[in-house]
This record gives sequence, C-alpha cells and structure tokens, in this order.
Amino acid sequence: MALPTAEYSRSRSTYASLRLSVLQFLADPQWLVPSMIAPVIFALVSFELFRGAGPYYLTYAILGAGMMSMWGQTLYGSGWATGQDREFGTLEPTLQAPTPYIYVVLGRVLWNVISGLIGGGIVYAVIVLVAGGPPALADPLAFALLFIFVMVTLASVGVIFAAFYVYTRYAGFIQNIGEFAFYIGTGCMFPVVLLPFVTNPISLAFPPTWALDALRYLSIPGYQGFGWGFWVDLGGAIATTLAYLSIAGLVFHRVERHVLEEGNLSQY
Amino acid sequence: MPNNSFAIETRGITRAFDARKGFLFGEVTHTEALKGIDLTVERGAIFGLLGPNGAGKTTLTKILSTLLLPTKGQAFVLGFDVVRESEQLRPRMGLVLGGERGLYTRISARENLRYFADLYGIPRSEREHRIDEVLARVDLLEPADRRVEEYSRGMKQKLHLARGILHRPQILFLDEPTIGLDPKSARETRKLIRSLVADGVSIFLTTHYMFEAEELCPKLAVLSKGRIVAQDTVANLRHLVGGDRTIDVEVYGFDDRELSSLRQLPGVSRVLTEEFGPVSRITLRVRTNEVRLEEVSAALPNHPELSVRERRTSLEDVYLDLVEEEAR
Repeated sequence: MALPTAEYSRSRSTYASLRLSVLQFLADPQWLVPSMIAPVIFALVSFELFRGAGPYYLTYAILGAGMMSMWGQTLYGSGWATGQDREFGTLEPTLQAPTPYIYVVLGRVLWNVISGLIGGGIVYAVIVLVAGGPPALADPLAFALLFIFVMVTLASVGVIFAAFYVYTRYAGFIQNIGEFAFYIGTGCMFPVVLLPFVTNPISLAFPPTWALDALRYLSIPGYQGFGWGFWVDLGGAIATTLAYLSIAGLVFHRVERHVLEEGNLSQY
Repeated sequence: MPNNSFAIETRGITRAFDARKGFLFGEVTHTEALKGIDLTVERGAIFGLLGPNGAGKTTLTKILSTLLLPTKGQAFVLGFDVVRESEQLRPRMGLVLGGERGLYTRISARENLRYFADLYGIPRSEREHRIDEVLARVDLLEPADRRVEEYSRGMKQKLHLARGILHRPQILFLDEPTIGLDPKSARETRKLIRSLVADGVSIFLTTHYMFEAEELCPKLAVLSKGRIVAQDTVANLRHLVGGDRTIDVEVYGFDDRELSSLRQLPGVSRVLTEEFGPVSRITLRVRTNEVRLEEVSAALPNHPELSVRERRTSLEDVYLDLVEEEAR
C-alpha cells in the first residue's frame, strides 16, 4: 500500500480551499443574508442618505454602501474561517497536511474577495435601478478596477488577521475590539483626513487607507484627501499591499511554529 | 543519527505545558506531560500505547505526528526528525485523532476527502478512484454523499479513518480508533488495521481497550504519569508482573497476617488484595505450574467457605499492576 509520496501543489491547495469555502457557503443559509440580502438594504439606505447631496451623490451612495457590505467579509472572513477551523477541530488535520496553511488561507481570501465583489455588484445594480441610471463616472473601467484593488488591499490585511486566529483562540476578542476602529480608521466610512491629525500615521500603515483615498480621488471631482494626489495614493496602496503580502508568509511560518510550541491547536 | 530500521525512535522526549487560568492575570500552572520518553517501534508492525487518562498518550502521539514540539529530546519517524524534517515527513504519515470534531460537517464525506486529497497532492487522475477505495474500505460508500452532520458517531469515526489512509501513508497514528464504534464496526476496524499492516504500513495505536491491544499489538508500552513504565511483548509483560497464571481467591474476614502463608507458596510471585465490604479478593500471580488450587485452599485453613479460581493473566491485569505500581 505504501507508495512514493505525492507532492502538494500550492495552486491546487489554494483552489481546494476556495472550493471548500464555496461549498460551505452554499451549505449554510446564514451566509445568504450578509452576502446577498444585506447589500440590497445597504444600497437602499445609502441612496436615501446621500440623495440631494450634490451632483455626485450616486458615487457617494455606491462607495458608502459598497464598502459597508464588503469590508467586513473581505477583511475578517478568512480569519473567521480559521476560527471555525479551531472550533470544528479541523485546524489540526489541516495543519498536519503537507500544504503550508497560508495556501489554505489564500483560498479563503480569494473567495471572500469574490463574494465581496458580488456584494458590490449587487449594491451597484440596486442603486442604478432605483436612481434610474448609472452614476456619472469619468472613467468607469478605472473605477471598477480600483474598486477590485480596494478589495485586494482589504484581503492583504485579512491574511495577517487570519494568522491571529491560528495564533490564539482569543483572536475573535481582539478583532471585536478593533473592528470599528479599523472601519473608521481606514476611511471606509468617511475620508481619513476628517479624523484627528495624530491618527493619520496609524491609518496610513494600512493599505486600504491609501486605496480608498485613491478611489475617492478618481471618482469624486474636486476631492482633496491628503492633498498629495491620486498617483501617490495609488503608489502607497500598492507598496503597502505588497509589504503586507510579503510579510504574511513569514508571519504564518512563525505563527505555525508558535502554536506547535504552545500546543493550543485544539483549543477553541 | 536515527536507526532507519525503526519506524519510530524517541530519545528522552519531554513535554511541559504552562497553562494560565483565566485570560490575563490568572495563575500559571506548570505540568510535565512527558518525562523523558525512550521508545523504539519496528517498521511494518502495530505498536500499542496504553495508559490511563492524562498519562500523556495524546501528547506523545501529537509530537510524533508533528502537531506539537517537544520541550526536550529527539524523535524520529521513518528516519525523519519530527521537528526539523516535518515537511518531508507529513506526506508519509497519517493521523486519526477521532471523535466528533475534526470534520467539515456541513458538506459530504466525499467532499471532505476531496479537500484533503488536494491538500495531500493526490494526483487528480487517481483522486476519485482513491476516495471510492477508502470509502469502501471503511464501509461508507453508500452514505458518502450525505452531509457529515447526519452521520452517527461511529460513521464519523470511520470517516476519520478514511481520511487517515487516503494518501497511503507509510505510518499511521491511531488515537483510540474504535472508540464510539458498535462491536461489528469495531471488529471491522481491527480487520482494516491488520490489512494495513499486511500492506506494509507501520501503525502506532493508543487504546483503552485491553482486548484490542492484546489482539492487535505484538509489542506495546504502558505510559503512566508521563513515563514509560514498561515496553515489551504481551508475554514478557505478563512475566514482568509476576507470571502467566493468576489465581483469584475470595474470602470472608481475611486477616493480613494470613498473606505470608500465601506468599510462601512456591511459584507465587505477587500477592494483591482488595476489599469489597466483608469480602476480600486476593490475587496471586504465579510464574509456574507448581501451585495447585488445593494448595491455596490449604494455606487458608480458617476459611472453608473460600472460592478459588484460576485463569490466564490478562493484559488488563498487567496494565493495572504496572499503573498501580507507578502510582505507589
């Protein structure tokens, strides 16, 4: 029976994890509400809130409702799934498999980006439907691409958060403390420049802050933001995202080592 | 350097845990779960690890299966260092921890296996065939497409086993594999374990069931309070605790001073006593055939009502003797 061992493939492991996420999503109706129904409600509320707020109110409505429906799942979905692995006892057999756990997390991140974008698509469709037409965007294609990139920046932070869930069973506790601080601190709700100046350096340590500012530059004529313009924001977003993704591998390696030392993999 | 003829070789494995009560400022308790474990397991055989709850069996299993780092000492599995060469080792080993947890319950057994087949890099062309093969082997082919949350505890246990052998490991760690199984399923599982050994797989088994260990394991070790208290064949372990034969005596109003007359009988290596209200049960371990039941009765002339029976020393007797001796 014992044969030469097969070798894992990173892309196949990532795809397997993405596939598992989709299967679990389809198997559990509780996900339908945050992923499919909540964006409809957010879009309607946001449309009513921004109606009459100047010529770009549709763009404000789409950005507000889109971020509200996407950020949580994209940012925390992967970490939360790792927390579920702890609770279900599947973290041990998954870590015992030859595939490094980060590829499992990447598959989940991919699914969370996709499901976040589906939510964004729903928001866009609902607002266009109730407004009777699309918003006035100078470059719709650039807007769409940058919107996707915002998801990627959120996901890059999400990978690091997922490492916390491997590290400790108290990750949910830590996340709950920081959740809304992160939401406001990265500009998901309103531009970061409206916050006290001393908080800005902390905000700029996170890739979504840069990407959201760039998105506002692109879609809202006359937007001032940090005052250094679209390209600096875009460059900052790319640089910080790459930094997060490149340290993620190292962080996971250290975290895996730590949990093997502590022996807390089966605790939840 | 490890000896490559062994499936498992450990040298002075020690594992300590610091546990904090409460989240931030609770008291920290230090526990030594394993205290210098030296163990060798031959390739292609079943090795049993017995021990009471909390003895350190699962801790040792997790160290050997790369899920926990030892505090001190070295362990080699299939010649690979479990700490430094875990990447090479993991594709070659299987682990069955069992229980209700450890499975994705909202999806089917087949999907659970597909996921792990991909993580283990089982060739795509072989994947479905391999999944059907292991499902058939654990008798789960018919309900394979049902959600795992609908499974009984026994069916989940079988699915754990199927996942453990899916990638055709060279060594399989089984932590109480028949717990929760009905007698028929448990018997089939033991048959499966034997067939895996016939295929050349080395098996490291922990169990609470003495008959199971006796039936499956040519060699075994008894772990108590983090130490190996004995490691040998069942026959040699019987010898270690005093012999193949056991004579049970039940008597009313037994006096401890009468013990010396039993101890002096030729061939009696050990005398144990237990009290059950007015009844005393005396257990004699006997090395030879010299002691006859009549001689035992004759050694207790004040007890005409006594009951004397002879039987073969069971593994349970061996286990209890060793664990109780360690506790003293």
